[in-house]
Amino acid sequence: MFNTIEEYLDALKSEMKDADPALLQDALADAREHLSTALAEAGESSPKTKESDALRKVIEEYGTPEETASAYNEVERRTSPALKQTIKPRSALGRFFGVYADPYAWGALLYMLIAFVTGIFYFTWAVTGVSLSISLLILVFGFPLALLFLLSVRGLALLEGRLVEALLGVRMPRNPLFSHQDMKWFDRLKALLTDKVTWVMLVYMLLQFVLGTVYFVLIVTVLSFSLSFIVSPFFMAFWDLHGQFIVNNNDLRDILPKWSYPLLVLFGILLWTGFMNLAKGIGQLHGKMAKWMLVQE
Amino acid sequence: MVDTSLATKKFQKEMNAGTASLVLLSVLSRSKKPMYGYQIAKHLEESGPQVPMMKQGTLYPVLRSLEENGLLESLVEPSVSGPPRRYYKITEDGRVALKDWLDIWKQTKKFVDANLKG
Repeated sequence: MFNTIEEYLDALKSEMKDADPALLQDALADAREHLSTALAEAGESSPKTKESDALRKVIEEYGTPEETASAYNEVERRTSPALKQTIKPRSALGRFFGVYADPYAWGALLYMLIAFVTGIFYFTWAVTGVSLSISLLILVFGFPLALLFLLSVRGLALLEGRLVEALLGVRMPRNPLFSHQDMKWFDRLKALLTDKVTWVMLVYMLLQFVLGTVYFVLIVTVLSFSLSFIVSPFFMAFWDLHGQFIVNNNDLRDILPKWSYPLLVLFGILLWTGFMNLAKGIGQLHGKMAKWMLVQE
Repeated sequence: MVDTSLATKKFQKEMNAGTASLVLLSVLSRSKKPMYGYQIAKHLEESGPQVPMMKQGTLYPVLRSLEENGLLESLVEPSVSGPPRRYYKITEDGRVALKDWLDIWKQTKKFVDANLKG
């Protein structure tokens, strides 16, 4: 049987090794919360009972790792199809233009815009935090500062995960990763420092700055090109009717024949639709990357 | 002779699947304050008869799925001792759903009882 909560959690982990890592993280958080609360309660109400006996009783009520794992898998199996949208087989053209009805394409677009802002914030936070922590380590209060900073990285990773799940539709953890509670803060700092996940999260925060900038530039460029193509023929047609308003010297009307105006509009629409499809793809890739970097396997 | 215990287990699981959602929603609708998992489990334990196989651990995924569907909302708060706790609260949509679910439950109960009597 299990002598500590950690042993139970390990058993649950191996029981759910095929499950989605985000689901596993939720399951572990729930179990840790429940078992430690129940154990503390048991210790208060009957202090004479041995801790291992109390734990056995608590686990008996909570369920074996197998039972718990199957409960999570069951519920996830029943609910996830509702999250995913039903995909009807459509023609290539239908799929291409169907992107306008795809919430994940719009979500990806919004995410790419937001990534510009969050990217700058993450970068600033990470650089400030790292340099401040390292340089203050020679003083005593550098250690708690480093601990706080590393914990904030965990928190930001969780927030980023929520954003990714909401906008890109990739299942991410809903609970923060927590280290063992009974550790001294110095040990906790050591555990955070030696944990690979913390560093990968930091790299993600730095990377997000580059990606966010690229995404933003892409959106702004393609959007302005598409809009120009769509709108300019209308202006040109207007000027053709009221020939007086010549705005500048390189008037496109000298080069472009009238019959090309509808084609320009069409090209603008195609360009933007194509970009929406691209954005959806970028969103999926980014979601995969975020999951790979921010979720502990 | 077929092993019926497996079939019984499956039947119990399927029965629990729906009733757990109903019971959890109802408990949270009556509670004035948001409750965390252990509190809810304790409340169920104290309120009377137990159902086999409805272990406390099986309540948590149901709570999460109810939240995912917008019927509950939750808030994580640090606790004095131990890991932070997730407090659940029923939403307005949850109250609306609960009303419908209670009707369904009453109908189902009537239907089953009537047919079991024969």
